[in-house]
Amino acid sequence: MWLIRDSIFIGLLEASPLILAAMGFTLIYYLNGFINFAYGESITFGAYFAVLFNVGLGLNFYFAILPAALLAGALSVATYLFIFKPALNRGVQPSEMIILSVGLSFMLRYGLVLFVGAENTYLAEPPVAFFNFAGMGATNLQLIALILVIIFALNLYWLIYKTGYGEVIRGLANNEELAQVSGINPHKVSVRVWFIAGVAGGLSGIFSGVFALANPQMGWNLILITIMVSIVAGVGSVRGALFASIVAGILTSFITLISKPLYAEVVLLMAFILILWRRGGRIA
Amino acid sequence: MAYLIFSLSLLLIYIGLAQMLHVQFGLLGIPNFGVVGFWGLGMYAVGIMQVQLDMSFVDAMVLNALLLAAVSYGLGHLILRLERQAILCATIAFSAIVALLAVTEKWMTMGVVGLGTIRQPFRIFGIEEILFFIFLLILIIGIQFYILKLHKSRLGRLMIATRDNEELAASLGKDTFRVKLIAFTLTSAIMGILGGLSAPLNQFLTPNMIVPSITFAVWISLVLGGKEHALGSMLGVFVTFGLFDILIETYAPVSPEFAVLVPNVKLFLYGALLVGVLVFRPSGLLDQRTPSDAVVGTLGRGVLKGAVAIHQGVTKGVATVQGKIEHRKKGGGT
Repeated sequence: MWLIRDSIFIGLLEASPLILAAMGFTLIYYLNGFINFAYGESITFGAYFAVLFNVGLGLNFYFAILPAALLAGALSVATYLFIFKPALNRGVQPSEMIILSVGLSFMLRYGLVLFVGAENTYLAEPPVAFFNFAGMGATNLQLIALILVIIFALNLYWLIYKTGYGEVIRGLANNEELAQVSGINPHKVSVRVWFIAGVAGGLSGIFSGVFALANPQMGWNLILITIMVSIVAGVGSVRGALFASIVAGILTSFITLISKPLYAEVVLLMAFILILWRRGGRIA
Repeated sequence: MAYLIFSLSLLLIYIGLAQMLHVQFGLLGIPNFGVVGFWGLGMYAVGIMQVQLDMSFVDAMVLNALLLAAVSYGLGHLILRLERQAILCATIAFSAIVALLAVTEKWMTMGVVGLGTIRQPFRIFGIEEILFFIFLLILIIGIQFYILKLHKSRLGRLMIATRDNEELAASLGKDTFRVKLIAFTLTSAIMGILGGLSAPLNQFLTPNMIVPSITFAVWISLVLGGKEHALGSMLGVFVTFGLFDILIETYAPVSPEFAVLVPNVKLFLYGALLVGVLVFRPSGLLDQRTPSDAVVGTLGRGVLKGAVAIHQGVTKGVATVQGKIEHRKKGGGT
């Protein structure tokens, strides 16, 4: 019993970067229909922007979160406007868009390495306090991350499923011609979606940075599991991404508790291939 | 000198991987993003069989080829019916599994400590590296000849038809899944064989050799060189690995403080090159048509157009003359 309780608790705490990344990734995949590996760099750059404001400019950690996330969003919009949109307009196939995104991801990541070096960087965190919940411990930062993730996730959920704007996004993703006929400006909507997704990725990077450290490979390490979770959840389903990332977090912590953390990854990866096979071709 | 031979041997291994990826993606349209998984599995399998089980190199290579073929066949059965983006994700997951297992299965792979030493297959003192290099060279040239022949064969055309329009090829009675499965099994197994050949080259194996950057280096080479052209993979590897890894990293006069930056600059430029090629010249440096094809095509079109023009001119002329005759006849009649 303690095993289940602990794995749910740890899983929820650890899953918060994944939840954000999966929701943001899903938005882009839903709208443009290709797997964007360069989304991993939104995660990395989010963490490094936070380092810039927090360590470089000496801002309080909590105040550094907002500008860092906004800058990550701006970066995501820039990649869309300068790389992906021209390529989409030229009619590049989805499988080639993925290769393009991998190339962009390499470019951004090693461009960052050239600037800041490949070493680990630490955020100047506020003093750590431990809280105790019926025998289970959590730090104040973990709890704040979890609360912020819940707020962001609920907002995003509300935006996509309950507002007119969400309807516009869903309409554009499902049928671009029809959306244009009914007076939706696809350019404006796409830019906003890429911005929201970038902000989510940036926040995800900041929170992974809080739990451990920031290094240029962190986005790349998170992107594979993010892609898996989003695909298993069903592409275009923000709520699916939310639930699947929570399940993945809990499952990871469960397998980690009973064996080794690396086996958790192996099991998840194998489960992923089997799920794809069971679905028989339909990725969504 | 010894280092140059090592680099050149590695270059040949990369060319082999890019050639296999050319068959998989360029001809069949299977986006295999798990190149390093097959390569790494083969490398570790041969390493384990040689070091832990004390088998001879030839036995290890044969067993390795069978193992890789079985693994690729199983994986192909699971994923080849899926749509392309799903295949891509599944293969990348496969390579991640291989990399993780190399770390976790310490009883077999020695984990992060590393596995070694793997003996050279040719045991003639002094020239064993050179002999191995020549062996690789013959192998790669052989594969290249086969690929050139494949492009002109029925099988090659069937593969291209499967890539471009699988439903159409299937409706003409072709078993496209079987073609894909057999080709994927064979090419992935050869990737594993190339991995097995890299084991004595590297001599000492560690899990951090199985990194995704190898997959992407091969992909970048292929896309840069021209994914649909028979010689594209070779050209691409010369431009990426040959230029950056061998010429610049080994021979360029770089001061020590910048030397540590060179690998990062290289990967940055790989990425920039890939983006540039895909945005400005999606077919790569070499188009899928060979230059001679292009010339023949242009000439052929020219001759055809000329013939059509002459035919039209003649028909028009005849019609005009006929019309005049008619007119004259009528005129003469009235």
